[in-house]
Amino acid sequence: MAILLMKKINKLINNVKRTMFTSSLDTFISLFITSILFVCTVKLSKWFFLKANWTVVEENIPLFLFGVFPADQRWRPSLWLIILISLVVLTLFTPSWSFFRKLLPFAWIAVIPIGIALLAGGIGLSPVASRYWGGLTLTIFLMMSSLFLAFPFGIILAFGRQSKLQLIKYFCSIYIETLRAIPLISILFFGQLLIPLFLPVEIEINRVLRSIIAFTLFVSAYIAEDIRGGLQAIPKSQIEAAKSLGFNTFQITRFILLPQVLQIALPALTNQAVGLLQNTSLMSILGLVELLGISRSLLANPKFIGQYMEVYVWLAAIYWFICTIMALVAQNIERKTTLVKLI
Amino acid sequence: MKGLRSLYIQVGIGLVLFILFAVLINNLSINLIRTNLNFSFKWLYRPASFALAEHPLPYSPSDSYAWALFIGWLNSLKVIFISLIISTLIGFITGIARTGRNPLLKIIAASYITLIRQTPLLLQLMFWYFVGFLSIKGTLIFPNERILVLSNQGIKIFGDINLTAEYSSLVIGLTVFTGAYIAEVVRGGINSVPRGQWEAFRSVGLNENSGVLKIIIPQALPAILPGLTSQYLNLAKNSTLAIAVGYADIYAISDTIINQTGRAIEGFILLLLSFLFLNLIISLMMDFFNEIITKYQKV
Amino acid sequence: MRSFLAGLIGASMLLTGCTTKNEGPKSRLDLIKQRNEMVCGVSGKIPGFSFLKSNGTYKGIDVDICKAFAAAFVGSPSKVQYRTLTAAERFTAIRTGEIDLLSRNTTFNLSRDSINGNSLTFAPVIFHDGQGLLVKKNSGITSIKDLAGQAVCVGSGTTTEQNINDAFEAISLPYTPIKYQDLNQVVAGYLQGRCAAMTSDRSQLAAARSGFKNPKNHIILQETLSKEPLAPASIGGDQKLSDAMRWVIFSLITAEEKGITKDNINKKVEIAQNNPQLKQLRRFLGVEGDLGEKIGLDNDFVIRVINATGNYGEIYNRHLGPNSDVPIPRGLNKLYTQGGLHISPPFN
Repeated sequence: MAILLMKKINKLINNVKRTMFTSSLDTFISLFITSILFVCTVKLSKWFFLKANWTVVEENIPLFLFGVFPADQRWRPSLWLIILISLVVLTLFTPSWSFFRKLLPFAWIAVIPIGIALLAGGIGLSPVASRYWGGLTLTIFLMMSSLFLAFPFGIILAFGRQSKLQLIKYFCSIYIETLRAIPLISILFFGQLLIPLFLPVEIEINRVLRSIIAFTLFVSAYIAEDIRGGLQAIPKSQIEAAKSLGFNTFQITRFILLPQVLQIALPALTNQAVGLLQNTSLMSILGLVELLGISRSLLANPKFIGQYMEVYVWLAAIYWFICTIMALVAQNIERKTTLVKLI
Repeated sequence: MKGLRSLYIQVGIGLVLFILFAVLINNLSINLIRTNLNFSFKWLYRPASFALAEHPLPYSPSDSYAWALFIGWLNSLKVIFISLIISTLIGFITGIARTGRNPLLKIIAASYITLIRQTPLLLQLMFWYFVGFLSIKGTLIFPNERILVLSNQGIKIFGDINLTAEYSSLVIGLTVFTGAYIAEVVRGGINSVPRGQWEAFRSVGLNENSGVLKIIIPQALPAILPGLTSQYLNLAKNSTLAIAVGYADIYAISDTIINQTGRAIEGFILLLLSFLFLNLIISLMMDFFNEIITKYQKV
Repeated sequence: MRSFLAGLIGASMLLTGCTTKNEGPKSRLDLIKQRNEMVCGVSGKIPGFSFLKSNGTYKGIDVDICKAFAAAFVGSPSKVQYRTLTAAERFTAIRTGEIDLLSRNTTFNLSRDSINGNSLTFAPVIFHDGQGLLVKKNSGITSIKDLAGQAVCVGSGTTTEQNINDAFEAISLPYTPIKYQDLNQVVAGYLQGRCAAMTSDRSQLAAARSGFKNPKNHIILQETLSKEPLAPASIGGDQKLSDAMRWVIFSLITAEEKGITKDNINKKVEIAQNNPQLKQLRRFLGVEGDLGEKIGLDNDFVIRVINATGNYGEIYNRHLGPNSDVPIPRGLNKLYTQGGLHISPPFN
């Protein structure tokens, strides 16, 4: 037993020696980094446990989660978040052969109208105007609904760009290239301040919806490019084969191209979704009180002034956690489900 | 027959698009008339009457809005160009460390990449500015005053190059962020080089570092370049978040001007044009590199 | 992109003819009544003026002015949507119709009021302010001249930004403006030492200072850089709405002058109803005549306004009085009868 242990330790040391201390440069780098890491860890944990004043986070958990949603109605966004969490858990842990698996895509789509119903109210629930939505709930809502709208729009744009009809092709190309050339913040600015100029005075669209429109316009152009990447990866021979079998263009698109393209583009699409979640934070510059926006308001409160580090670390942890979960869910879908079957 | 049908479809779609635009433009002109703002660019010649902390060319508040916009554009360029160089360095070093043999470096590179890629850039920028720079009490000196001095006023290099806190935190934020993305691009490129190449340079007795630099990277470059281009374009677009840390880039100045003059549509169009132009410059530059590399490899 | 633009311009040329057919625009006041709710643009970040509290409600003098308008226009002070706006986006928001009116520490000046400027119409001034400079007491700075070559934190897109610029140009000294999007960042920049001074309206400086850990370590310099009469604003050319706004504010001032408060309003109404000889009071409270109707409101709008918010003095004391979180001496903001600047034309 002892000999086995000794052997293992020896092997480990050898391994470390081989990989970290082969040359003098490597040795130097390894030692240098270890010492820096050590100092940083000590300093950070000192701050984390002794110096940081976490009351700013503890006292404002409801604000971070729900923004200024009416206090007596907070069960509604909570319920929605709980539904989302259970969906994530179900997606991650249901085995691929299970019956539930087939229902999951529908559940993911249904969760958006459920969210609107719970947040906005109306049917049996007291209505809550969108200006009261905020915090993490709004961040996730913005991300999910923009993604939901941008996805079909992006697919249409991608196929439009491949179209043989010149007008459609050029229109889609111009749209995609323009939207991809300009910064997101200017599109959001357009959404918040210029969309009303293009509408009759009587029509008013609320801020949340305007930002969803702006995000959709933006993300669909990127999704279109990812889909196009997938399209190019499919050999032309498949299309010719299908044509010779008598498939028409719609059938080819629907049954042959789309399922494969989505499978190929899934990792890129996941990146778009994660990017979108992070980009919702830009709305804090344009006046929505989503997760980062509500934190900026909080930091203006005299009681919490100067506690940037605590709030930012807390926010980073939340964003990091959600992005990681999203990546896990996407990996899970890629591994367990062939999208071909779903569509 | 088929040609005729596609013509009909196109005419139909063209009409729908035209009517859609027509309605939107009609609404716009009604709204502009209602608010007494006619579409024009004459206001560009009026004095801007706001001061700017940073201007690479002479600027005073009595200069025109057009000149202020140009200064903003130069300020953007100043950020983009420097960030582009540094983030490329960071990206390559991290990407190589990520694929290298040293497990310690691997872990650090991997955790840097995930931490940066999983949090919003805006949050990072605000972190660098409010926590990173403004929280510095007094001055930090590395290793003496002649070389590098950090304070809440910014960075002082070699005693006479002063970088403001706004500029520095923007550049640091952008490079750290873009560096992580470039690292992934580099890793992808390196992984696309056949494994046999490693064994090849090891067998001829090259050491690990020079082997990667001289043998692997040149082969990985063609795979890296397209990804690199799109990261550079992203960097340029992301630089507009300067407004969050009080740096006067093209977007921040457009924002101020739109607020002062009320010329939202015109200001927006100018902003778009300046970005299309910026993208063109970066794309042309990368095409040029691409050409050089392909030429070099053929030889 | 080029063909897109060409299309835009072409289409707009074709269609400018259509626009004239459209009848004159409706007043925003009718839209507010029809919607039964008013959209009020506030800052949301200035203690004493408009501030988001931990329970999610807004509080402050600007917010109370919104409530007074809502009480007069749609009958209830709670039928208000508050939009938080940064200084830079507030005028665009009003122009695009995103908000009905603005009650957000906005300085009344020529270029904002004029048709070739921001094309707004201002209601009467609700707070007479002046721009000042806040510095650290131990910095030894006693006047603007001591700030030569130093950094000054300022909010972007504000008149403050232009005033500080004018002030330094007038004495021909250089300075570095550090511009932020909103006041909370300006405060952060100043407190963290990025700037030697921060500049804003004195009221805002006082409000910000009251939140500091050691308010006594900071002083507001004696010099006043500008007059800053703060007033609510609406879009220009909408006389119906701007008239209604103007007289709601005058009603707050007149009520203070006549000693009508939230507590005694019902008693005053009774007195007016029982004493036909008190012509002035009866007209003011809408017991007699049709003053309210003349400005497109109900005749009893004053009663509703005072019930909702109290008179001007009450609003002031609630948010800026000696016992509030942000005490600012009333000074110029007293009634004209007490040596201040607030005066209301008669309700005749």
